[in-house]
Formats: sequence, C-alpha cells, structure tokens
Amino acid sequence: MPTEISHIRNFCIVAHIDHGKSTLADRMLELTHTVDPRGMRAQYLDRMDLERERGITIKAQAVRLLHEGYELNLIDTPGHVDFTYEVSRSLAACEGAILLVDAAQGLEAQTLANFHLARDAGLTIVPVLNKIDLPAAEPEQRADELGKLLDRDPDEILRVSAKSGAGVTELLKTVIEQVPPPVGDAEAPLQALIFDSAFDTYRGVITYVRVQAGRLPSNAKIKMFATHVTSEAEETGVMAPEATPVDALGPGEVGYLVTGLKDVHQAKVGDTITLAGKAGAAEPLPGYREPKPMVWSGLFPADGSDYSDLREALDRLKLSDSALVYEPETSQALGFGFRVGFLGLLHMDIVRERLEREFDLELISTAPNVEFHVFKAGEETIVHNPAEMPPGGDYDRVEEPVVYATVITPSDYLGAVFELCQNRRGEQVDLEYLTPERVEVHYVLPLAEIVFDFFDQLKSRTRGYASLDYEPWGFQESKLVRVDVLLHGEPVDAFSSVIHRDKAYDYGKRMTERLKELIPRQLFDVAVQAAIGSKVIARETVKAKRKDVLAKCYGGDITRKRKLLETQKKGKERMRRVGKVDVPQDAFIQALRVDEKAKR
Amino acid sequence: MTDAGIYVHVPFCITRCGYCDFNAYAGLDELKPRYLRALLGEAELAAPGWDGTPFVSVFLGGGTPTTMAPADLRALLVHLRDRFALADDAEISVEANPDTVDEASLRALRDAGYDRLSMGAQSFDPRVLASLERIHQPASVRTAFSAARAAGYDNVNLDLIYGTEGETLESWERTVRETISLAPEHVSAYALTIEPATALGRQVAAGDRPAPDPDVQAEMFTVACTLLGDAGYRHYEVSNWAKPGFECRHNLGYWERRPYVGLGAGAHAYRDDVRWWNVRPPDAYMERVEAGELPIGGSESLDPSDAYLEEVFLKLRILEGVPASWFEPERYEAFVESGLLDDDFGQLVPTERGMLLLNELVLGLTA
Repeated sequence: MPTEISHIRNFCIVAHIDHGKSTLADRMLELTHTVDPRGMRAQYLDRMDLERERGITIKAQAVRLLHEGYELNLIDTPGHVDFTYEVSRSLAACEGAILLVDAAQGLEAQTLANFHLARDAGLTIVPVLNKIDLPAAEPEQRADELGKLLDRDPDEILRVSAKSGAGVTELLKTVIEQVPPPVGDAEAPLQALIFDSAFDTYRGVITYVRVQAGRLPSNAKIKMFATHVTSEAEETGVMAPEATPVDALGPGEVGYLVTGLKDVHQAKVGDTITLAGKAGAAEPLPGYREPKPMVWSGLFPADGSDYSDLREALDRLKLSDSALVYEPETSQALGFGFRVGFLGLLHMDIVRERLEREFDLELISTAPNVEFHVFKAGEETIVHNPAEMPPGGDYDRVEEPVVYATVITPSDYLGAVFELCQNRRGEQVDLEYLTPERVEVHYVLPLAEIVFDFFDQLKSRTRGYASLDYEPWGFQESKLVRVDVLLHGEPVDAFSSVIHRDKAYDYGKRMTERLKELIPRQLFDVAVQAAIGSKVIARETVKAKRKDVLAKCYGGDITRKRKLLETQKKGKERMRRVGKVDVPQDAFIQALRVDEKAKR
Repeated sequence: MTDAGIYVHVPFCITRCGYCDFNAYAGLDELKPRYLRALLGEAELAAPGWDGTPFVSVFLGGGTPTTMAPADLRALLVHLRDRFALADDAEISVEANPDTVDEASLRALRDAGYDRLSMGAQSFDPRVLASLERIHQPASVRTAFSAARAAGYDNVNLDLIYGTEGETLESWERTVRETISLAPEHVSAYALTIEPATALGRQVAAGDRPAPDPDVQAEMFTVACTLLGDAGYRHYEVSNWAKPGFECRHNLGYWERRPYVGLGAGAHAYRDDVRWWNVRPPDAYMERVEAGELPIGGSESLDPSDAYLEEVFLKLRILEGVPASWFEPERYEAFVESGLLDDDFGQLVPTERGMLLLNELVLGLTA
C-alpha cells in the first residue's frame, strides 16, 4: 500500500565532518524503531569498513523511516569537497535539508557550501545545533550565527544532542511540519533520478532513485537517458534499512532499483531512468553531468609482476566507482602502471587504500597533479602526466585549473589565511564577517596549489579552526614549467613535476635534498639534479661508497655472513635501475610521499 | 684428506666489553673446572667422527682463554693430541688479553705447546681503550708483549680495533706505528663493527653514541695498509697482515673452506658443505656433554648455490681470489676497470679499495 504523497517527506542532513550527522541518523533509526535496538551499531548507514573507520560517508544512502503515519526518507549525503556533484544530486532528491551545526565548532566552510547548494536547489532548511551537551558548546553564539545566515530568529533554532538523543523527536516533528511533501504526477511518464549507484557482486548494478513523476514498477523495462542503455529491471524496493522489495515506487518516493545491468558506468549518478519504449518520458531531469577527474596520479605496483593484478583490481573497482578513470602508463623508473584520475584527494586516498587493502597490492604512487592545457601553434593538448609536458617551455601558453575557494576562519587568523592564499597564488574575491569573530573569505586559487599541502597548512596556521571548501572555476593561464629530476644525468620520469616558475627552485631543492638522503651510496658519485629543460637549478651529490666489508669473518661468522649477503642480494633485485643508479623502492615511495594526507 | 683445524671456545672474560657480541661471559669463574671437563668430554665424543682426519692447527679463542689456568690449558692440549691426529708441527694458537698474562704464565703456555700467541691490544690510545671498555692500559700491552718474547714466543699477533668514537686518523696512525715498533709477526686490524645485540649497539640505536663513520674507517684502513705494507707485512686477508711465513694457518682454513671441528659452547664446525654448531649457553653445553651426547644446537647443509656464494666471498677475502672463468665477463669487467679487482692471469683478486667494498663485489659478481 503506497504512502499518500502528502505523507512523504524527503530530506537530507547537511553537516561538516564530525558534526554528528551519522550519529543523528543512528538516533533517528532508533527513535522510529526502524532498527531493532539489538541490531543497532554505530554509523549504521555507512556501508564500507573504510567509511566506518574514517568516520566519513562516501556513498549516499537512503533509508525509509516510518514515523507517526509519515514516510520519512533520509538521504545521507557525502560530506566532502571531492563529491560536490554527488551531493548536488542527493539534494535534488529532497525537499528539505537539516542544517546540522556543532554547537561548539560553529559553521564550517563545507557546511556553508552545501547549505548554499541546498538553498539553491530550493530545499526547505531546518537548522539544528548539535552537541549542546558538550562543555565547550556555545549554543547562543552559534544560534546567532545561524540566525543571521538564514535570516531567522535564533530562538527558533532547534537544539539537540545526537549522542543522547535529546531533542531528536522534536526534530522529526519539525521536519514533518516544515518540509513540504513532494509533488509529482503518478500518471505522467516515469522520471526517476539516480542519486547513487553501487555494484553488488550477486545482483549487479543497484541504483538509488527518487521518483519525480510516474511510477517505477518492479520488473520494468527501463531506459537510462545519458547512456541510452535499456535493461530489464529485476526488483524495486526501499531501504528500511535493509533492502525490502515493493511492487512499485510512486511519485515522491525514494528507493532502490536492481537494474539488471552489470556495469556501473551504465547507470550514472544524476542520470534519469524512464520506461523503455513509447511509455517513456521524452526528456530527462535537468542537472546531469559526467563525472570529471580533477587530480591525477600514476599508480605502479611495487613489484612489477603485479601489473596484471593491478589492472584487474582497477577494473573491479571501476565496477562500483563510476568516477574512476585510468589509462596504462609506462614509466622508465617505475615500469608498467596506470595514470589514474580522481575526483579529488580524498577519492585518491580511498582508491589507493582500497587497492592496497582489498586487493593486497603494494603500490608506488606519483605525486598527484592536475590537468594542464598546453597550447602550441593554435593546437591544444591536454596533459595528465607531467612527463608528457613539453620540456623547457616549448609551447605558447599553458592553462591550469582554478577553483573558487571558501575559507571560514576566526578573524584572529585572517592574516595567516591571507598569507597562505597569497603564497599559493590565490586572488581574493571578497570577504564577509559572519559574526564579529568569524569571517568568510573567497579566493580563486590554482587547484594544483590545493592538491599539495594547502589544507594541512591552513589547519596548522589557524590552529585547526579554519575550514575550506572549493568548487571548480575553469582554467587560467599560468607561468608553468616542467621540473625534471636527474640521477647521474638520467631524468627520472616519475619525479617530473609541472610547477609555477617562481616555485621551481624550491621544488628542485627540496627534491634533490630529499633524494640525497634516500638514495644509497653507490660505487661512484651520483649527481642528483633538478632541471628546467637543460638548465640545472639544484644539485646534490651522493658520495661514492667506500666501505661495506665486514671486518671479521671466522668460523662462527660464515653462516650469518652468507645469509646477510643473500638478503642484500634480494634487496638489490628489488631495486629499480635508473641509468647506472640503483634506487630502492622505498626511495620512490618516500620521495613521492605528499606531505599531507587527504583532508577529511 | 684435507688438513683440518680444531677450534676451542673458552667463554670466560674478566669483564664484558660494550662492543663485543661473542659468546662470552663475565662472572662465571666458578664454572671453569666443570667447563674444562666438558671440553675434554666433548673431544672424546667428537673425535671418532674425525677419525683419519689430519689436523694442522688448534685455535683457542674466546672469551679470554688465558683466564683459565695454564695447567688446565696444558691438560686440554694433551687431551686433544691424544684424541685427534694432530700434526707435530701443528700451529697451536691461544688468545690472550694483556692483563691476564705474565712471563711465568706465558712460559707455562709455551712449554705446554701453545706456540702462537694472539694478544688483544686493540689500541695504544688510552681514550680508545676506555671507549671500548677495555680494562688494560697501553703500557700493559708493551709489558705483556715483552713478557711473551721473554717466554719464548716468536709468533705473536696483535689485534687492533679502529674507528671507535673519538679516534682520530692521527691517533690511529700512532697506534699502528707503535704496533710496528714492537715488531709482532702478525697484525689483525678490525674496523669497529656495531653489533645490535650489544650494549654499544643499543646506545647507537638509541642515538646516545655515534655509529662509526665508514668513510673515516676507510681512511684508517688505507693508513694501516700503507704503514704495515711499508714495514714488511703482507696483507693476506681483509683484516690480517703477517710477516712472510707467519700467516695464521688456522684462520686460512676458514677462508679456504677446509674442515674444522669446534669444541665448546657455541663453537662451529664444518666439513664437506655441512656446518653445525654447539648450543650457546655454557650451562646447556655442559649439561649436554655430561649427559654423554654431542651438544649440537643446529646445523645446515649448503646446497651448491650456498657453497658457491661462500666460496666466492671467502676466497675474495684472501689474496688467492677467485677464477675469472667462474663469471660472465660483464660481471667483473667494470670492477677491473674501476680498480676494485685485479685480473691476475685469470684470477680475480680484490685491490686495496676493492677489499673495502667486498660486499658490492660479491653481489655484483654473483648477481
């Protein structure tokens, strides 16, 4: 018996990481008896182990809560800048958004960015202060801040403790009262928005959908607009919170669809599902976009013989990760591998970690880089790998991606933020005081500058108080050069980097100094150089080794000595050869290690 | 049958030095009589297995063998001669520390048949001796050396250690010159090696003391090569120099891969690509022998590739070198060109620089 459309509420929770979104979702599951108390576990909706350990939600999830005669569909959204597009699609499936703010921390850039997305999508905003029972909570100030942002009376803002459950029942009541029910014509041709998709080994591609118009029955013959794929769907259902089949999903409803497809790329987030044939809708829903990788990195198996395993692993990950793109790459230094495109640093980290954890691969990854547009004689080349950049400035101009960045910081640290953004070639757009103590400032910044340690620097310069969000802002011309690193005169392609001319020297110096420590002494002096084209900009020398012999080797020492040699022999076999120089694996790993971990 | 050697391990020391990872113990003096009985017992048990093997050397090492009474060491040697086919002109070495001997005890040892004395001089720089936690002074080395001569020793080795913390090139040079001025027949000079399982090893790992600088040790090695060479000593193994005819026959046996029997706690034995060793703790060793069994703690059988690797790295340590015909030319040509190996009519012999880089040579040749 489908729920009357007037009794449906579709909402999501917009929150900064650690502000308690998953905990709040847990309390809602309990209070509505959707999950038996004995079956409850923390962060119930986060599926993958990786997510639970990191405390972040990667994949959007939808769960149906039945409460006082209403059907409440909670659509959980990812809370990270890498997944802005996925967030926007989740928002498009909702009529309302709970804006959840930590009463101690206050508004953060990410929350603000997602709030703007939600408001622009026409969602009704229900502001809530969480963690009001924390000693450090400042509910009055935070309520003022939220009140100002939303143009509302601070006293109206709900206060809850997701941890204890205090205020959560009232919050559900408010959602029912304030969030409007969906509208949609059950008789119209089917338009269902895919706001998430996943791959199940047994059932194939499962999409999470919001029906905007028409009805989505079980076993329908369906069509995807963007990919033009048709398929016999196998099952329609709702997450309550475990998968529960239903006869059909009506307008305004949210649920899942077992598509009968085997490749997640045929069912893309943001695409519209309709019925195949004449009964289908003429137009898709607006807002679909192809996922676009922003950050690239070369991934190589530490053991060259694992190449085919890596390819297989990527192929399998791709089944469940529609944003993942890769192409084979050959590096002189690192052998066969792949140049992989990611939505952002977090996405990169997750993919790498999954490859290592789920597929038991040991990887060497090159420093992440952005996409460059190289113009020469009227021709544009898109470069994803610094080694492919013409050396020595043999081009007319280069463009790099820039982002529109939002930083929210206590005003005390404004100077530090200015300095950092200026150092990173940022241009300030505007600045606004949220309260006398907190400032929102916007910059246009090269993405390449953010890909390195920007977030860590921002955090350390503001004692962790500033927050950051950014969105793509097109491309802009820049004075970029390719810096190569040479060992004994041989360039090491894996260490090439495209970098702003003013920073080339620092980069060269840093890399040569680092490598000097990492490259073991050889039988000859090894020059470690950084160069732009043929011009050397930094140099270090690894002095030739003079002594490695063991002083004593008598009757009782021989066995130990032989075993030592065998170990060293194996170590040597694992080394990579660059020209005449033996470089251990670890030197690549250490030298390429980005000084930061992806931001949360 | 190939000439074989007998190694006897004496695990007793007056004090334990911080750098030493040998199977040696201070404060176990009351065990000495029982240990001697165990050595005699083990010789009894082991000898039948070596029936018909001619022995050309005995080496009494430690520990500090001279912490045992000369009469006991005499009894030991008598017993060994009784049980093993020891040649009349066999080389019989005993290790000593300067402070554990005097003319009388040395005369007793000499009379007992110990004809080669290897003395742990280590250095003539009191700061180096202190840094090594050696209990003797430079003067005691001179005194003990004169005593050895007076007692009739005409084959004496002095052990030296270089590259300790604070030792300068100049100080090392003085030590080598002092050594030469005493005119021993044999000199062993060892670069200080940091062993993890020692007090010094732990201090270095913790960053409390510096690890020796291999470049400085290489300089010191060169100093030793030059000064000892000029003084008429032949550099016949990485860390060993001798006046012609005074090369240590026993130790050459290890590098030439001749058989040896090992008696005592933790001692190693080798014959025909099989190596075995005794249990290390002295009490466990004695208990096993007292129970009438060979106190073997472990063994290994060398497969042809193990044997080949040992052959290469041991032969490269001595002047004999290895035949070039064992390797593809591309394995050694670069080493010959860069002056690490001499191609001496088809025999590859490490040069002075090559000896210091023996690991690289072995790895490069056998890769």
